[in-house]
Amino acid sequence: MSTIALAAPAVMPAAPARTSAYVVLAPSCLVLTMFFALPMGVMIGMSFTDGETLAPTFAHYQRFFSDGLSLAGLYRTAMMSILVALSVTVLGYPIAYFLARSRSRWRAVVFALALAPELAGVVLRTYGWLIILEDRGFINDALMNLGLVASPLPLSKNLFAVVVGLTHVVLPFGILSLTTSIQGIDPNLERAAQMLGASRLSVVRHVILPLSVPGIVSSLLISFTMAASAYATPALLGGARFKVLATMIYEQVLFYIDWRFAAVMAVALLVMMLTVSFLGIRYEARRSARRSNREGERS
Amino acid sequence: MNVNRCLPLCLVLALGEAPGPAFAETLIVNSYGGPYESIIEERIIKPFEEKSGIDVVYDAVGSAAQDYAKIKATKGNPGFDVGVMTASQSLQGCKEGLLEKLDAAAIPNLGKLAPRLSEVAGPCGAVHEVQYMSLLYRTDKLTSPPTSWSSLLAPELKGKIILPTFQNIMAVFLLEIMSVARGGDMIDNVGPGFTAMAELARQSIGFEQSSAILESYIKDGTVWAMPFWNGRAQLLIDQGVPVDYVRPKEGTIPLIATLNVPVGAENKQAAMAFIDFFLEKSRQEAWVTGYKVGSARIDIDIPDDARKRQITTEADLKSLKLPDLARVADKLGEWGERWERDVVSQAK
Repeated sequence: MSTIALAAPAVMPAAPARTSAYVVLAPSCLVLTMFFALPMGVMIGMSFTDGETLAPTFAHYQRFFSDGLSLAGLYRTAMMSILVALSVTVLGYPIAYFLARSRSRWRAVVFALALAPELAGVVLRTYGWLIILEDRGFINDALMNLGLVASPLPLSKNLFAVVVGLTHVVLPFGILSLTTSIQGIDPNLERAAQMLGASRLSVVRHVILPLSVPGIVSSLLISFTMAASAYATPALLGGARFKVLATMIYEQVLFYIDWRFAAVMAVALLVMMLTVSFLGIRYEARRSARRSNREGERS
Repeated sequence: MNVNRCLPLCLVLALGEAPGPAFAETLIVNSYGGPYESIIEERIIKPFEEKSGIDVVYDAVGSAAQDYAKIKATKGNPGFDVGVMTASQSLQGCKEGLLEKLDAAAIPNLGKLAPRLSEVAGPCGAVHEVQYMSLLYRTDKLTSPPTSWSSLLAPELKGKIILPTFQNIMAVFLLEIMSVARGGDMIDNVGPGFTAMAELARQSIGFEQSSAILESYIKDGTVWAMPFWNGRAQLLIDQGVPVDYVRPKEGTIPLIATLNVPVGAENKQAAMAFIDFFLEKSRQEAWVTGYKVGSARIDIDIPDDARKRQITTEADLKSLKLPDLARVADKLGEWGERWERDVVSQAK
């Protein structure tokens, strides 16, 4: 097998000309520049200019760091996103493992069920959770009718409700990312470990989990960024008491009509997501490098 | 040149030059969905189309705030010719040069509106309806009707009221009214209002932004009293919900709705004609009785039961508290932060 992989083809394909590579890249670069980089640049520019005079200013940033509410919103956004990322990855992992390894006829059903949430719109799914979780909702109604609680449990308009709703929204993406990663692990490694006496739990702990770290990191990053930028679910399930940056940006744009301050909040959100993505990617790159070095030393 | 290749080009050129069929003028009106849409279609748009021969395309997408954001983002060219907004947005849009200034030469019926309300909306907004913030209550739960905004603090209403979020302008108006009732004023000294709102927050089950969600709480009896626009309150009564509404003794602040024309509108002449038609005496009568709201025209003839509950007379207009909306807009950021700290934190 390795011989085949290492053998050079009889005729090496010619390297693509640099010009033709640019031509292939040009449309996507143009689209990204026009619809992503340009608006992003305008937004960042707005955050540093005065609304009346258009003179450069840090006043909007000073406000962001001093009003207390904006930093609290950033903290809530980070907490919510971390919890969603962890919930999605922990809940999604067993499902992904089943999908990657099982030959059961139920595999297709589980796959369909895992992706089913994506068939309904996010607003519809969130309203579904509202009906279940709110004070007048299904759970509280049932508990009160059974006499188990005297007053409704605080299941909505808080962090708990938003994390539950967003986990439901993001879970399919986490499962897909983890499934792809687990599918890439050679099943012979698991068999070999078992043949050498490892228990099922040991195989998972010492073989599957370490080898699926790229998928876990990917699932955490996707879930974190999707949760941090989500608007509809936090707006509906978080209410007035649990505001995150996305809902606060919406208020600044539509109610306060303060687009420059909204731009500052958007920049803060972007920086947070880029930082987390950078740390995740760097961790994975270093880990891969260490692993390659170890393998190099052994050989 | 090959004839087969030349023919399509010739056809295109020929058809392009030939006179096409005469298309009727089309006006795009952006406003709300729900009951508003069916009532405006029946009482305003259809009669306007019949009278003017202009086709109206009704665009119900977006709230007034979203529509205003669209106007701002497109620098006055949002893709519609007439928008329905509030006096606050009219003032803001005029200040930013995004809305067309309206004058009585193009819209003669503008001159028939009560000057006091027209002034509040500024030169870019034509006031086509007036609602007021009423105190809505359940008639089957409260032994006697409330008479004052302070009734919301009654012990029997503990855990039985709900408040609008600050991003619903009703919250701002309630804050100002409570401020005046407790010795403050509507702009510069609103401290007493914040104290009162904190007490109301402790009394409430929480906050909701959307009017549709707010009304669901009183419909199912979770909430027994709350501030609510009187037009929507009247629609609830008409649906048979056991509720009624009052104008409390401290007075109230109106929600002044305006028709506006973005500066980049393609059919300005038709837009002006539509606004003039909406402000005609007969159309205002049709609108007031259909959508159950008040009017800035005090010369309209409507049944007594409607007149009794709506803003339709000079005396009604005088009873309204009219804050300087431009100054309110300047204060919103500061008040919003204070609301989060002093009011929202007090809710359960």
